[in-house]
Amino acid sequence: MSTCEKIRTQLGLLLYGELSFDEEEAVDAHLEGCAECRTALGRERELQAALDGHEIEPPASVLWESRQNLQRLIAAEQAPGHSFIGRVSWWDQFLDARWLKSAGALALLSIGFFGARMFPGLGFGVTGMTMLDPGAQRVRSIEPGPNGGIQIVLDETRQRVVSGGLDDQNIRVLLLSAAKDPSDPGLRYETVGILNDRAQATEVRDTLIYALAHDENAGVRLKAMDGLRPFVLEPEVRKALAGVLLSDGNPGMRTQAIDLLTQGVGETTDNATANGLDREMIGTLQELMNRENNAYVRQRGERVLQFVNASQETY
Amino acid sequence: MAQKTGFQVDETALIRAAQEGDQDAFGQLVRAYDQSVLRLAMNLLRSPEDAQDVYQEAFLRVFRNLKNFRFDCSFHTWLYRIVTNLCLDQMRKRKVRKEESSQIEGTDGPVERMDTFQESRAESDPQRSMFAGQLRTRIQTALSGLTARERMVFELRHYQGLKLRNIGEILGTSEEAAKNCLFRATQKMRVALGDFV
Repeated sequence: MSTCEKIRTQLGLLLYGELSFDEEEAVDAHLEGCAECRTALGRERELQAALDGHEIEPPASVLWESRQNLQRLIAAEQAPGHSFIGRVSWWDQFLDARWLKSAGALALLSIGFFGARMFPGLGFGVTGMTMLDPGAQRVRSIEPGPNGGIQIVLDETRQRVVSGGLDDQNIRVLLLSAAKDPSDPGLRYETVGILNDRAQATEVRDTLIYALAHDENAGVRLKAMDGLRPFVLEPEVRKALAGVLLSDGNPGMRTQAIDLLTQGVGETTDNATANGLDREMIGTLQELMNRENNAYVRQRGERVLQFVNASQETY
Repeated sequence: MAQKTGFQVDETALIRAAQEGDQDAFGQLVRAYDQSVLRLAMNLLRSPEDAQDVYQEAFLRVFRNLKNFRFDCSFHTWLYRIVTNLCLDQMRKRKVRKEESSQIEGTDGPVERMDTFQESRAESDPQRSMFAGQLRTRIQTALSGLTARERMVFELRHYQGLKLRNIGEILGTSEEAAKNCLFRATQKMRVALGDFV
């Protein structure tokens, strides 16, 4: 095997950072004097970049369902005779949305859960060197103490269960915060589902609009859109839906958005419905025609523009 | 990825608490890893149902066997060993039964099942958009041309960002063998993608 051939077998590993120090040195030295191998490295980099965007992010709904099913399986394991018995767990508190709903929209939340997100801790409870309450404490600083001992300053986040109705302001603040928790799409999905029942409140609607426009998970965005459905005539909701139509990467989202924005238009000869489409919306649809590649969304947009006698293009 | 240095001490405490029957601790362990487990299974199996099955089976096995976990390796390695074995079993089973069609009927005709989960930005440039779609299809074909083990090593290294040494540990092989497997996988990908990159 020639030197160049040998070096090229190592280019991928070089980019992955998997070569030893000596191997990397040898490859770098060779690359300095070999234009062909530098070109090959460029191609390797392009290959890895092309593969980068190909990962599939599981929808929040799949994560949520998985947790629900796991909860059920574990509950079955906990039947008498198994070692994990007894008390209400976080599974029960967070995952059983059916319970949350059937209890008359009583929200049960653990501050500790959110606290763990806001103040990630080391998780030691230290009392006489025994461990308790993992995740509730974090060592902030350690200093020499009197008589040769040490003094440890702990930040504590205690887990606490708070319960109340969805109209309770404290509960609502926690829910609004959970709807934006960046670390857990399953939690956001469930929270948005609960908030959907209270979308008549402006602050809840604003949170749903935020989720619709910004949540990285399509399942959460779709759930937020469901909650906004009854408010489709509100200008801020229409604006958010127009944003989805023009820039959401998920064709399913765009399909739902165009159906909501143009519902009824072109299906009857009722001009009053068509008149509901303001100039801005027509402009949005014309802009859509320039960029949309999904056949259903295009067809729907064309049909509506035809119906209101607007051109299919922007000039 | 949930394997962080700052989490390590916390994790040991959580595992010990879960071993003693603390459900909250077990729940926190699940929550620390379940997103990356589901992502790995979904990307390898390209079926949400199969991915959910692997998720449940994996965490159920953890729940049942946690008492026997002796910290001989990291919890992450132990969990991933379970998950990768389950995924490899599924992938091999599929090869035997030649798997059901991965296509479903979409609004534009048949589409790859998992494409419905994939973000594809609405492009202002239709040509770019078409190219992106073709590239996606080509990558999918290239991935399906890999053996189950090559696919696993590639997925763990490229998308999950694990080091080859750790991948070897998870798959019960040497770092060198994982390295060779990754090399074969990327070679195949390059050939399959041809003039696209």
